[in-house]
Amino acid sequence: MDSLKDKLIIEGVSKQYKEKEVLKSVSFTVKDGEFLSILGPSGCGKTTLLRILIGLLPADTGTVVKDGVDITKAAPDKRGMGIVFQNYALFENMTAQQNVEYALKMKKSTKADAKEKAARMLETVGLSDRAKSLPKNLSGGQQQRVAIARTLALQPDIILLDEPMSALDVATRLAMRSELKKLQASFGTTMIYVTHDQEEAFALSDRIMIMDKGEISQLDTPENICRNPANDYVRTFVLDNLRAKIDSLSKYAPGLK
Amino acid sequence: MMKQRSTSKTVIQVCLALFFIAVVIAPIITMFTRINSESIRSLTSSPNFVPAIFNSVTTALTATVISMVLAILASFSLCRTSMRGKGIFSMLFVLPMLVPSISHAYGLKALIGVNGSGMLAFMLGSNVSIYGFRGIVAGSVMYSFPVAFLMIQSILQYEDGMPYKAAAVLGIPPLRRFTGITLPYMKKTLISMFFAVFTMIMTDYGVPAALKNENFGDTLSTIMFSDATQLKLGNAGVIGIMLLVPAVVAFAVDMLVPELSQSGFVSEGVEAGKGKLPKIAAYIFCSILAIAILMPITAFIIQVFAKSYPRDMSFSLTHVQNTLKSGADRFLLNSLIYSVIAAVFGTLLAFICAYMTTRAKSRITKALHLMSITSVAIPGLVLGLSYIIFFKNTPIYGTIFIIGLANSIHFFASPYLMMYNTLGKVNPDLEAVGKTLGIKRIRIITDVIVPKVRFTMYEMVVYFFVNSMMTISAVSLLAPPAPQPLSLMISSAESQIDIGKAATVSLMILVINFIIKLIITFINRKKSKE
Ligand SMILES: Nc1ncnc2c1ncn2[C@@H]1O[C@H](COP(=O)(O)OP(=O)(O)OP(=O)(O)O)[C@@H](O)[C@H]1O
Ligand SMILES: [Mg+2]
Repeated sequence: MDSLKDKLIIEGVSKQYKEKEVLKSVSFTVKDGEFLSILGPSGCGKTTLLRILIGLLPADTGTVVKDGVDITKAAPDKRGMGIVFQNYALFENMTAQQNVEYALKMKKSTKADAKEKAARMLETVGLSDRAKSLPKNLSGGQQQRVAIARTLALQPDIILLDEPMSALDVATRLAMRSELKKLQASFGTTMIYVTHDQEEAFALSDRIMIMDKGEISQLDTPENICRNPANDYVRTFVLDNLRAKIDSLSKYAPGLK
Repeated sequence: MMKQRSTSKTVIQVCLALFFIAVVIAPIITMFTRINSESIRSLTSSPNFVPAIFNSVTTALTATVISMVLAILASFSLCRTSMRGKGIFSMLFVLPMLVPSISHAYGLKALIGVNGSGMLAFMLGSNVSIYGFRGIVAGSVMYSFPVAFLMIQSILQYEDGMPYKAAAVLGIPPLRRFTGITLPYMKKTLISMFFAVFTMIMTDYGVPAALKNENFGDTLSTIMFSDATQLKLGNAGVIGIMLLVPAVVAFAVDMLVPELSQSGFVSEGVEAGKGKLPKIAAYIFCSILAIAILMPITAFIIQVFAKSYPRDMSFSLTHVQNTLKSGADRFLLNSLIYSVIAAVFGTLLAFICAYMTTRAKSRITKALHLMSITSVAIPGLVLGLSYIIFFKNTPIYGTIFIIGLANSIHFFASPYLMMYNTLGKVNPDLEAVGKTLGIKRIRIITDVIVPKVRFTMYEMVVYFFVNSMMTISAVSLLAPPAPQPLSLMISSAESQIDIGKAATVSLMILVINFIIKLIITFINRKKSKE
């Protein structure tokens, strides 16, 4: 991992709502092509951080540098980043194909180009046969694929995902996990993945950033976090919870442990 | 770039706020400034002033109570028993909303009249009079009942059925279930409804104008109208303030009484009772009620086609011909223009305001929201009077635009709130998605949000249109000099020939509004299929 170049450097980013400090001078670096999870309890500032990274929200202080360029003040669509929202925010009156096409058409690409590209994206996420369906006729997992395809179509080199699995059932979640990894491998995109599910973070990530009340508790590989938890918070919130899950599973399937 | 966007958002909101200040707040304040000690003295010393207060309050109070009781009984019949014909009754009960209030008053005259001039009286040979207290209360009930009915029906329909199931399992008797579950659930609506209906009746001028007589005297609204038309603007202004009081109280109560705390998710509605007796009783009650509230309109319609109502009931088109001869076609055109202006401009404005207050929040969002719903507290006569005073020397005075504007403002609050509620439920991240994909906000609005909320938009268009077709309050003060709308042919009816015309005009308005309603019902069918 260390040999990879720095893709995104976040330096001293803080954000305050009225009296409340939501992010307290957060600094970290994201490597090129890595899968980084941001793990933390509800309200710790994960969404706020993502919104600042993509430029939907201005930071009070700090800088965001991507590929050596300061993008702190750049418009959201000029950052080469994409985001998938928790609720997908699909355009409900448009078919899957149109959802993906829409942004392409706004850009300079011709209609035929946009169409072809959108079709290719849907194929990549395995939805070619549902291209003409409206979102409401798609399952949760399929809707998520449309949202991902819509984001991928603009060829961002970083994709941010805000708790994308939380609306899915367990089986679909597991399936989507491996899909996501596959997509990442084939596109080489850097992914920043927000979750409050410990197991998910450990299963997916190259590195995990654990957050607590607007601060980074630890940023390391899953292995290192297990070996050397940085503090009590990491030990209880992450490891104990994870252990409890494994224990409860092994009760039913003794062979697992 | 980001900065620029949020600035333009604020600029639009400031412009909207300034617009409301110019067309709502400034005119009302100007009206206040016309009041001086002289106008207060001359008004309070007039002998009909104190009786008018008494008349207004007593008729409004009586009619409000009757309307509410009938509305409660009717909506419980429809929502809580398994009676037949629910669809038909729901439709019949709101039919009176499609004609001006004054039409009900003329309907009553046609039905009972004075000294045997009415149809019923003629048939029964009695000489009951419909003028005065009784008639005004009856007329007021006719047009306020549908409003009350819709308010209760809409909350009864969406009440959660679970507490009732639980109560039934626990063996709690029906009466206790009613006082323990239903009443607390309906409390807020009942309180709001009381003030809304009371205000509506007290500030209405159509019914008392048609049914007052020497014996009964005036109401506040009829005095205000005659003072305004005699250009005693100070006097009219004083009454304007008095009429604002119940409306402002209604408004304040609505803001202060906490919203009932039902969890948004209703797993299943309340089951309708299976009892045979309630079912039959409900059916009989609804039938009698429907006949009673529709009888005046029916009598009025018969009057249109009867040669010389009620003595010679043979079919004739004389009234229709008379009506057309006296310029009804031109007035109809005016009315359609006014309705279209309000429907287009009002809907557009309400949409933009609701969009701003739900999805483009800024520091003045709250103020803008408040301004958007203030119009509900301003009675039509008050709005009309304030417009006379404020716009007198502007180019729009006496043109179609002032009435288009008055109607858009007068009926603004309800459509605004419809859109406010709808937009609040639309996915909040759509604009953010647009930003990250490089799609302009305006495109997200036109391509994604508008299609999503289009059914609410149709409802808004219909609301503005239908109400503009039948309003007589604000327009009666503004036209003339502005081109006269059709509805004013009703309120200016004096002679027997005029009444034939008034009946014809009411029927025209009813037919047009009914068609508009049919179209929207048809469109909404498609929505529920979706
Ligand atoms: N617009 C706002 N105004 C005031 N406070 C806000 C605003 N947005 C977020 N907050 C507060 O900031 C804190 C962090 O919010 P954020 O949405 O970033 O949390 P999160 O980690 O994403 O939580 P979750 O897991 O629930 O999504 C929360 O306490 C929230 O209440
Ligand atoms: Mg969040």
